[in-house]
Amino acid sequence: MGKPEVKGTVTSLSSVFPPEEMQKAAKMVEGKLSEKQNEMNQLKEFIADNTSLINLVQKLPDELHHDIMVPFGKAAFFPGRLIHTNEFLVLLGESYYADRTAKQTVEILKRRGKSLMSKVDALKAEMQDLKAEASFFDSTASEVADDLVEIREYEEDNSTERVSQSGPVELESPSVAEADNKVSASEDDEYARLMSRLEELEKEELAAEDEDANANATETETDSDEDELTEAAFHRKKVEGYSSLDHNQRYLVSQPRKQLQQSKGKDPMNEEMSTTYNHQDLTNQLACTGLTAEPVTKGNYGGEISRGRIVHQDTKMLNPPVNASVPSEKTSLKQIIHDSSRNEKPVQTPKSEFDSSKAFTGSIIEHTENLEKKLPEQKTTSSQSSDSKPSKPVSRFKMQRK
Amino acid sequence: MSSSSIALRELQRDLENKANDLSKLQKDIAKNHQVRKKYTIQLGENELVLKELDLLKEDANVYKLIGPVLVKQDLAEANANVRKRIEYISAELKRLDGSLQDLEEKQHSKREAILKVQQRIQSHQAGKAKA
Repeated sequence: MGKPEVKGTVTSLSSVFPPEEMQKAAKMVEGKLSEKQNEMNQLKEFIADNTSLINLVQKLPDELHHDIMVPFGKAAFFPGRLIHTNEFLVLLGESYYADRTAKQTVEILKRRGKSLMSKVDALKAEMQDLKAEASFFDSTASEVADDLVEIREYEEDNSTERVSQSGPVELESPSVAEADNKVSASEDDEYARLMSRLEELEKEELAAEDEDANANATETETDSDEDELTEAAFHRKKVEGYSSLDHNQRYLVSQPRKQLQQSKGKDPMNEEMSTTYNHQDLTNQLACTGLTAEPVTKGNYGGEISRGRIVHQDTKMLNPPVNASVPSEKTSLKQIIHDSSRNEKPVQTPKSEFDSSKAFTGSIIEHTENLEKKLPEQKTTSSQSSDSKPSKPVSRFKMQRK
Repeated sequence: MSSSSIALRELQRDLENKANDLSKLQKDIAKNHQVRKKYTIQLGENELVLKELDLLKEDANVYKLIGPVLVKQDLAEANANVRKRIEYISAELKRLDGSLQDLEEKQHSKREAILKVQQRIQSHQAGKAKA
């Protein structure tokens, strides 16, 4: 297989999101958040006052007159009587008052309470947005601190992948982009293994590509999305992507997986695989190399799956010292996964869902015991991603993710 | 050289003036925002009052608080007054919107002018350094 031409750019995250600005932005968001919190508290007080007023107004007409201590001036009271207990002068707003009975007053107060509640809800929604922003800033700030680098590769067929690697040291960005060329033997074992895997997969993929040629995925989500994705968002996207992918796409996505596993499971598998793989790969990689991979949008998956090249690239990526993990490199991930013992995969029963023509044919597996484990995993999608978290050496990734 | 330094000083003075203008503009914009907020709140309150007045029966007593005096008012009269006030407030809001846009445009152009002056200063200094 020839390597597809890869042009790419590597940008250090710290150049895109300079750390000081990130911190400033994070602080601003925090400030706004606290403002909203104050407003929220005030509104809650109003609501509490309103309800106690309603109770009082409902109790007053129970008696014809009440004996009370009437306030007189700033610091005095005298005993007196409250009469006309059913007549209330209610402030309607803007210095307008109206005479109303107790029942009517209660109605007015209830309406006021409703409008207050709606304001509180609106505030809550705003606060949620702010919180999401804040968490995004935090995660990017931590990523920047870790010197992650964004690597964008453009394949011939215009699929883009975004991979971020952490290279506290040196990401030789140009080298990363051209990982293909570089395949340094440093990562050696993995590399060799990956290479062989990849080749196998590619062959299979190419064969399958024809079938899936149409399924091209929505790559729309992509770049812009990628930029914004936070890990949480990534998970979400994955889930969304999966759910939105139609079978074809999923199939495509699963292709790489399949190949890894050599099973022809369908979508569910794919999704799961990808999710699990991502997690796993990441974890594996992390375990091995301490890399962190940035989530990739699903869209990419769909589009890229069919490409065996992706697999190639993935492997290449893997190899470079940097060990970037490419999203599409699910396949590579898978391989990695295979290589490393993944027990984490929560897995699922691959067959039950899809299967129809694609059920595992048993031919899967075998590259390692791990594969078998993987098969089962294919089933669930998002759940897997969450599952993959279990205690693994990779937890590093997870922790970062979380 | 002295002429260029004089020119440099002039440019810097120009820059200062423009910066002052810009800060004034920004203050105006901030004030505009505040007034707008106030008016918006008042508008909301008036609409609430209108709704309540509509729910009142014809013969209900309506009072208006004018200073320390609570004056009895006719329901129809109160309705009319509130509606007029709502119209007035909306007109004010529109006017403020227009002036806000104006101010923002001015601010924008001031910023560009400042940039230009800064660039000229830089080129001057670069020229001086070379010489």
